[in-house]
Amino acid sequence: MTLLIFCLWLGNICCDTIGQISFKCAAISPKNRENWRYWLDLLCNYWLWLGVLSYGVGFLLWIAFLTLLPLSQAILLGSANIIAVMIMGRFIFKEQLTPFRIIGVSLITAGVILVGIG
Amino acid sequence: MKRFYLIGFALLLFFDTMGQTGFKFSALNAQPLDYSIEWVLRILTNKWIYITTLSYMGAFFTWMVLLKKVPVGPAFAASRTQIVTVMLVSVYIFNEQLTVTRCLGALLIIAGIIFLAFAEKKLNKRSVKQPDESIQ
Repeated sequence: MTLLIFCLWLGNICCDTIGQISFKCAAISPKNRENWRYWLDLLCNYWLWLGVLSYGVGFLLWIAFLTLLPLSQAILLGSANIIAVMIMGRFIFKEQLTPFRIIGVSLITAGVILVGIG
Repeated sequence: MKRFYLIGFALLLFFDTMGQTGFKFSALNAQPLDYSIEWVLRILTNKWIYITTLSYMGAFFTWMVLLKKVPVGPAFAASRTQIVTVMLVSVYIFNEQLTVTRCLGALLIIAGIIFLAFAEKKLNKRSVKQPDESIQ
């Protein structure tokens, strides 16, 4: 049971992270043009659809996760994806992890957990 | 750049909050929950589900435009401000309870946003001094 919960949790975080990284890849794709052509190019970009698919799977995993755990505990674990996206952004897009950014993201994560518990 | 961030995140926040509120209204208007075709019809014949759909589309477009420029890590964290706005809407519209822990959590989220804004300001200054370095 706990192994199942852990796998669902890990799967959900992976899906959320892959989804956001894919969206970013689609948004900064060099093929992109201006105006309405940007959206046309975006819709033809396979990164966008990988992101959408990943969100779909993540949504199902989250629902399954929520049926096994109370929401307050689930939010506690679910907020880990904020950290995961930041770390992946660091490695894939070379986003700088300045002290202020780390403090900011940590405070938001703590806040999300408190609201979830509250 | 500053304006782009402000308008972008304000729009995202508006669409996200609108979407969640719309979901709640759809659920309330479709009561009782009986997993029947009537329940689905009650949802589909309600204006709120369409407001929700439009809000979600708006949030998607705004997010993609933002992602062209903003770093995904801090921006994803910043988008969680919707928790605070949704919380305020729940208190005003749906009379949900506001506990001390929740208020504290909301304050932490807002403090986190302020730190992220300061981080952006510092990085912009640095990139003005060294134009070859990317803003990210």
